[in-house]
Amino acid sequence: MTSANGSSQQVEVMLPSRLLFLGVPDAILMELAGDLPFEQKDIDELSTAVIEACTNAMEHGNGMEQERRVELHFRFAPDEIRVTVLDQGAGFDFRNWQPPDGLMRERGRGITIMREFTDELTFDHAPDGRFRVQLVKRHPRQD
Amino acid sequence: MKIRERKRDGVVILELNGKLMGGPDAAAFNDTLKTLIHEGHRNVLVDLAKVNWVNSTGLGILISGYSTVRRSGGDLRLLNVSDRVESIFMVSKLHTVFVSYSNEEEAVRSFA
Repeated sequence: MTSANGSSQQVEVMLPSRLLFLGVPDAILMELAGDLPFEQKDIDELSTAVIEACTNAMEHGNGMEQERRVELHFRFAPDEIRVTVLDQGAGFDFRNWQPPDGLMRERGRGITIMREFTDELTFDHAPDGRFRVQLVKRHPRQD
Repeated sequence: MKIRERKRDGVVILELNGKLMGGPDAAAFNDTLKTLIHEGHRNVLVDLAKVNWVNSTGLGILISGYSTVRRSGGDLRLLNVSDRVESIFMVSKLHTVFVSYSNEEEAVRSFA
Protein backbone atom coordinates (compact mmCIF):
# COMPACT_ATOMS: atom_id res chain seq x y z
CA MET A 1 0.00 0.00 0.00
CA THR A 2 2.88 2.34 0.74
CA SER A 3 5.74 2.90 -1.64
CA ALA A 4 8.82 5.03 -1.32
CA ASN A 5 9.32 7.52 -4.13
CA GLY A 6 12.40 9.60 -3.51
CA SER A 7 11.65 11.64 -0.41
CA SER A 8 7.88 11.21 -0.67
CA GLN A 9 5.57 8.44 0.42
CA GLN A 10 2.38 7.56 -1.41
CA VAL A 11 -0.64 5.72 -0.12
CA GLU A 12 -3.79 4.76 -1.99
CA VAL A 13 -6.98 3.43 -0.42
CA MET A 14 -10.50 2.62 -1.59
CA LEU A 15 -13.40 3.17 0.79
CA PRO A 16 -17.00 1.94 0.57
CA SER A 17 -19.48 4.83 0.77
CA ARG A 18 -20.23 4.47 4.46
CA LEU A 19 -19.66 7.23 7.02
CA LEU A 20 -18.17 4.57 9.27
CA PHE A 21 -15.02 4.73 7.15
CA LEU A 22 -14.45 8.49 7.55
CA GLY A 23 -11.98 7.70 10.31
CA VAL A 24 -9.66 5.95 7.85
CA PRO A 25 -8.21 9.07 6.15
CA ASP A 26 -7.83 10.67 9.57
CA ALA A 27 -5.89 7.67 10.86
CA ILE A 28 -3.63 7.64 7.77
CA LEU A 29 -2.84 11.33 8.09
CA MET A 30 -2.18 11.12 11.84
CA GLU A 31 0.08 8.10 11.40
CA LEU A 32 2.10 9.17 8.36
CA ALA A 33 2.22 12.96 8.63
CA GLY A 34 3.59 12.82 12.15
CA ASP A 35 7.11 12.18 10.86
CA LEU A 36 7.03 15.26 8.60
CA PRO A 37 7.92 18.80 9.73
CA PHE A 38 4.30 19.91 10.04
CA GLU A 39 2.62 21.35 13.11
CA GLN A 40 -0.12 19.16 14.59
CA LYS A 41 -2.56 22.01 13.93
CA ASP A 42 -1.79 21.84 10.20
CA ILE A 43 -2.27 18.07 10.12
CA ASP A 44 -5.55 18.39 12.04
CA GLU A 45 -6.80 21.04 9.62
CA LEU A 46 -5.91 19.00 6.55
CA SER A 47 -7.51 15.92 8.06
CA THR A 48 -10.71 17.83 8.82
CA ALA A 49 -10.76 19.09 5.22
CA VAL A 50 -10.19 15.60 3.82
CA ILE A 51 -12.99 14.22 6.01
CA GLU A 52 -15.28 16.89 4.50
CA ALA A 53 -14.22 15.92 0.98
CA CYS A 54 -14.90 12.25 1.75
CA THR A 55 -18.26 13.07 3.35
CA ASN A 56 -19.29 14.93 0.19
CA ALA A 57 -17.94 12.14 -2.01
CA MET A 58 -19.96 9.50 -0.14
CA GLU A 59 -23.17 11.51 0.29
CA HIS A 60 -23.41 13.67 -2.83
CA GLY A 61 -21.06 11.91 -5.23
CA ASN A 62 -21.86 8.27 -4.56
CA GLY A 63 -25.32 8.73 -3.04
CA MET A 64 -24.31 6.56 -0.04
CA GLU A 65 -24.35 3.48 -2.27
CA GLN A 66 -21.84 1.24 -0.53
CA GLU A 67 -20.65 -0.47 -3.68
CA ARG A 68 -19.62 2.89 -5.14
CA ARG A 69 -16.14 3.57 -3.85
CA VAL A 70 -14.28 6.66 -2.77
CA GLU A 71 -10.66 6.50 -3.87
CA LEU A 72 -8.02 8.40 -1.94
CA HIS A 73 -4.43 9.14 -2.94
CA PHE A 74 -2.11 10.54 -0.30
CA ARG A 75 1.31 11.94 -1.14
CA PHE A 76 3.49 12.85 1.79
CA ALA A 77 6.56 15.01 1.17
CA PRO A 78 8.57 17.23 3.51
CA ASP A 79 7.25 20.38 1.84
CA GLU A 80 3.61 19.41 1.25
CA ILE A 81 0.92 16.82 1.83
CA ARG A 82 -1.40 16.30 -1.13
CA VAL A 83 -4.62 14.31 -0.92
CA THR A 84 -6.79 13.45 -3.91
CA VAL A 85 -10.37 12.27 -3.41
CA LEU A 86 -12.26 10.68 -6.30
CA ASP A 87 -15.90 9.64 -6.35
CA GLN A 88 -18.20 8.14 -8.95
CA GLY A 89 -20.70 10.99 -9.11
CA ALA A 90 -21.19 13.81 -11.58
CA GLY A 91 -19.75 16.48 -9.32
CA PHE A 92 -21.22 19.93 -8.91
CA ASP A 93 -20.95 23.34 -10.51
CA PHE A 94 -17.91 24.34 -8.48
CA ARG A 95 -17.17 27.40 -10.62
CA ASN A 96 -20.43 29.07 -9.60
CA TRP A 97 -20.70 27.70 -6.08
CA GLN A 98 -21.57 30.22 -3.37
CA PRO A 99 -21.80 29.45 0.35
CA PRO A 100 -25.42 29.25 1.55
CA ASP A 101 -26.69 32.00 3.84
CA GLY A 102 -27.67 31.57 7.46
CA LEU A 103 -25.43 31.06 10.47
CA MET A 104 -27.78 28.42 11.91
CA ARG A 105 -28.16 26.34 8.76
CA GLU A 106 -27.60 22.67 9.43
CA ARG A 107 -25.83 21.84 6.13
CA GLY A 108 -23.67 23.53 3.50
CA ARG A 109 -20.40 24.22 5.33
CA GLY A 110 -18.18 21.52 3.86
CA ILE A 111 -16.62 23.51 1.04
CA THR A 112 -16.01 26.51 3.27
CA ILE A 113 -14.20 24.26 5.75
CA MET A 114 -12.13 22.69 2.97
CA ARG A 115 -11.13 26.12 1.67
CA GLU A 116 -10.22 27.48 5.08
CA PHE A 117 -8.15 24.46 6.09
CA THR A 118 -6.07 23.95 2.94
CA ASP A 119 -3.45 25.95 1.06
CA GLU A 120 -4.71 24.70 -2.28
CA LEU A 121 -8.11 23.25 -3.15
CA THR A 122 -9.15 22.23 -6.64
CA PHE A 123 -12.24 20.56 -8.06
CA ASP A 124 -12.25 18.96 -11.49
CA HIS A 125 -12.89 15.69 -13.30
CA ALA A 126 -10.22 13.01 -13.68
CA PRO A 127 -9.44 11.78 -17.22
CA ASP A 128 -11.71 8.76 -16.56
CA GLY A 129 -14.64 11.10 -15.74
CA ARG A 130 -14.73 10.69 -11.98
CA PHE A 131 -15.18 13.82 -9.89
CA ARG A 132 -11.90 14.79 -8.24
CA VAL A 133 -11.01 17.00 -5.29
CA GLN A 134 -7.38 17.80 -4.54
CA LEU A 135 -6.41 19.19 -1.15
CA VAL A 136 -2.91 20.45 -0.38
CA LYS A 137 -1.29 21.59 2.85
CA ARG A 138 2.18 23.11 2.49
CA HIS A 139 4.86 23.42 5.07
CA PRO A 140 4.80 27.08 6.20
CA ARG A 141 8.45 27.60 5.26
CA GLN A 142 7.62 26.75 1.66
CA ASP A 143 5.11 29.64 1.28
CA MET B 1 -20.70 7.81 18.72
CA LYS B 2 -21.75 6.90 22.25
CA ILE B 3 -23.78 9.17 24.51
CA ARG B 4 -23.51 8.94 28.29
CA GLU B 5 -25.98 10.92 30.33
CA ARG B 6 -25.60 12.17 33.88
CA LYS B 7 -27.04 15.01 35.97
CA ARG B 8 -25.41 17.58 38.21
CA ASP B 9 -27.22 20.35 40.08
CA GLY B 10 -30.16 20.35 37.68
CA VAL B 11 -28.02 20.32 34.56
CA VAL B 12 -27.97 17.32 32.23
CA ILE B 13 -24.46 16.53 31.05
CA LEU B 14 -24.23 14.55 27.82
CA GLU B 15 -20.80 13.01 27.34
CA LEU B 16 -20.24 12.24 23.68
CA ASN B 17 -17.59 9.67 22.82
CA GLY B 18 -16.23 9.07 19.32
CA LYS B 19 -16.73 10.96 16.09
CA LEU B 20 -19.61 13.37 15.54
CA MET B 21 -20.34 12.89 11.86
CA GLY B 22 -24.00 12.40 11.00
CA GLY B 23 -25.79 9.23 10.04
CA PRO B 24 -27.26 7.46 13.08
CA ASP B 25 -25.55 9.98 15.39
CA ALA B 26 -28.10 12.62 14.42
CA ALA B 27 -31.13 10.54 15.40
CA ALA B 28 -29.49 9.33 18.62
CA PHE B 29 -28.61 12.84 19.74
CA ASN B 30 -31.96 14.35 18.79
CA ASP B 31 -33.91 11.51 20.42
CA THR B 32 -31.91 11.97 23.62
CA LEU B 33 -32.65 15.69 23.69
CA LYS B 34 -36.34 15.24 22.95
CA THR B 35 -36.64 12.71 25.77
CA LEU B 36 -34.89 15.06 28.17
CA ILE B 37 -37.14 17.96 27.21
CA HIS B 38 -40.21 15.73 27.56
CA GLU B 39 -39.01 14.87 31.08
CA GLY B 40 -38.75 18.56 31.90
CA HIS B 41 -35.02 19.07 31.57
CA ARG B 42 -34.03 22.32 29.91
CA ASN B 43 -30.37 22.88 30.74
CA VAL B 44 -28.00 20.73 28.70
CA LEU B 45 -24.23 20.66 28.78
CA VAL B 46 -22.59 18.69 25.97
CA ASP B 47 -19.15 17.37 26.94
CA LEU B 48 -16.94 16.97 23.86
CA ALA B 49 -13.78 15.84 25.69
CA LYS B 50 -13.91 12.40 24.08
CA VAL B 51 -14.91 13.55 20.61
CA ASN B 52 -11.99 13.00 18.26
CA TRP B 53 -13.34 15.12 15.45
CA VAL B 54 -16.48 16.75 14.11
CA ASN B 55 -17.40 17.21 10.46
CA SER B 56 -19.86 19.70 9.00
CA THR B 57 -22.68 17.17 9.34
CA GLY B 58 -21.79 16.80 12.99
CA LEU B 59 -21.94 20.56 13.37
CA GLY B 60 -25.45 20.36 11.92
CA ILE B 61 -26.39 17.86 14.63
CA LEU B 62 -25.24 20.28 17.33
CA ILE B 63 -27.04 23.19 15.66
CA SER B 64 -30.25 21.18 15.44
CA GLY B 65 -29.90 20.19 19.10
CA TYR B 66 -29.19 23.76 20.14
CA SER B 67 -32.30 24.98 18.32
CA THR B 68 -34.44 22.22 19.85
CA VAL B 69 -33.36 23.04 23.40
CA ARG B 70 -33.66 26.80 22.89
CA ARG B 71 -37.20 26.40 21.54
CA SER B 72 -38.11 24.57 24.74
CA GLY B 73 -36.94 27.56 26.77
CA GLY B 74 -33.62 26.06 27.81
CA ASP B 75 -30.04 26.31 26.68
CA LEU B 76 -27.37 24.00 25.30
CA ARG B 77 -23.74 24.78 26.13
CA LEU B 78 -20.48 23.01 25.42
CA LEU B 79 -17.76 21.62 27.66
CA ASN B 80 -14.18 20.57 26.91
CA VAL B 81 -13.97 21.54 23.26
CA SER B 82 -10.58 20.46 21.90
CA ASP B 83 -8.44 22.78 19.81
CA ARG B 84 -9.21 20.69 16.73
CA VAL B 85 -12.97 20.83 17.24
CA GLU B 86 -12.84 24.49 18.19
CA SER B 87 -11.15 25.32 14.90
CA ILE B 88 -14.15 24.05 12.95
CA PHE B 89 -16.44 26.21 15.11
CA MET B 90 -14.22 29.18 14.37
CA VAL B 91 -14.23 28.85 10.58
CA SER B 92 -17.99 28.26 10.69
CA LYS B 93 -18.42 31.31 12.95
CA LEU B 94 -20.45 29.12 15.29
CA HIS B 95 -18.23 30.11 18.19
CA THR B 96 -20.44 33.20 18.28
CA VAL B 97 -23.49 31.00 18.97
CA PHE B 98 -22.28 28.23 21.27
CA VAL B 99 -21.05 29.12 24.75
CA SER B 100 -18.26 26.78 25.81
CA TYR B 101 -16.40 26.04 29.03
CA SER B 102 -13.31 24.11 29.98
CA ASN B 103 -14.34 23.63 33.62
CA GLU B 104 -17.40 21.53 34.45
CA GLU B 105 -18.22 23.25 37.73
CA GLU B 106 -18.10 26.67 36.11
CA ALA B 107 -20.23 25.41 33.23
CA VAL B 108 -22.88 23.98 35.56
CA ARG B 109 -22.95 27.19 37.63
CA SER B 110 -23.50 29.22 34.46
CA PHE B 111 -27.03 27.80 34.17
CA ALA B 112 -28.03 29.08 37.64
